[in-house]
Amino acid sequence: MAKLLAGLGTSHVPSIAAALDKGLRDSAEWKPFFDGYIPAQKWVADHKPDIAVVVYNDHGNSFFLDRVPTLALGVAENYRPADEGWGPRAVPDFQGADDFAWHLADRMVEGHFDPLICRELDVDHGLQVPMELVFGRPEAWPVKVVPILINTIQYPIPTPQRMWDLGRLLRRAIESYPTDEKVLVMGTGGLSHQLQGARAGFINPTADREWIARIGSDPERYRTMSREDYVEEFGSEGAELIMWLVMRGCMDETVNTLFDHYFAPASMTGAGMVLLENMR
Amino acid sequence: MTDADRIPDTPLFDRPRSNAGYALNKMAMGLSTPDGRAAFLADEDAYLDRFALTPEQRNAVKSRDWAEMVRLGGNLFYILKISAVDPTPIRAIGAAQAGMELQEFLDTRLGKVTNG
Repeated sequence: MAKLLAGLGTSHVPSIAAALDKGLRDSAEWKPFFDGYIPAQKWVADHKPDIAVVVYNDHGNSFFLDRVPTLALGVAENYRPADEGWGPRAVPDFQGADDFAWHLADRMVEGHFDPLICRELDVDHGLQVPMELVFGRPEAWPVKVVPILINTIQYPIPTPQRMWDLGRLLRRAIESYPTDEKVLVMGTGGLSHQLQGARAGFINPTADREWIARIGSDPERYRTMSREDYVEEFGSEGAELIMWLVMRGCMDETVNTLFDHYFAPASMTGAGMVLLENMR
Repeated sequence: MTDADRIPDTPLFDRPRSNAGYALNKMAMGLSTPDGRAAFLADEDAYLDRFALTPEQRNAVKSRDWAEMVRLGGNLFYILKISAVDPTPIRAIGAAQAGMELQEFLDTRLGKVTNG
């Protein structure tokens, strides 16, 4: 059966992509941010996952407000980078793990999660940036991807508990998939930021650092917090952090936090990552 | 979310805002194609005429009044596409909504807490 290799939580700030595109990786402003990912990048490269499940939100690029799926699942063979207004970025297409994705669709519906099933989907920075932060800028991505998209823009957004439960289901789906492939699960978004309203520019490094420190060892508080609490503590767009709970929910109760990193501000956002491994 | 505006200065994109801003956001979404961007750049008024904006929304777009666009139901993820055809840094859009000069915004909202 397939194996859950590790869980990775990371920001997906679009300015990270812009910095890479402008050649600012090693600039004074950005180098400390990118360097913090190096140990996790090396670990992932050494452990060679076959499939990356990327949990993210579309940012008004592939879905408009005419139809807003609370939960969507990509089952495509290939995903192109989306045009977010500046033309599609020059990153490679993403090969889909379509067979595993259909297996996941079956397990989701049997487990009472009912996603929009997407056969054609352009993927925006929410998926691109985590892939670049983990795998760099290869000519071809070394893993196949499964996009899981969560609505975090139009209310009602799903609850933190629901995200956790989706993670529990994802774990069972991975471990009932009849190959010996290794799966890396990425929960993305955050950390604290707010783009809208007079509180725009709100960031909360204290809460962010606590999140980074506790999401592995003591996630209970975050599972039971309300959506409003997320908005208050992490900002209106910081509520994206609920998507990390899908990743955390698919891990064991007790995990090793292999690596973590925090940096603020990346553009207008607290940014960082954790890499979690189940105890053996 | 029974009281979406409980958190001060934090407009959650709920049903009233989504309804109020639908045409405005749809206009902005049209800028995610090369044809839409070309049309906007060639004749902004003619492009805006395609969408059922209120006079207030139209004025907010024309004057690039980001706070007003959000007040009238615009969501940043859509209206940000205007900044792709009329380049405006995201931090400037943030400062405008906060009602601050850019440097004050960077210092008080983002800078002083950099290593918080």
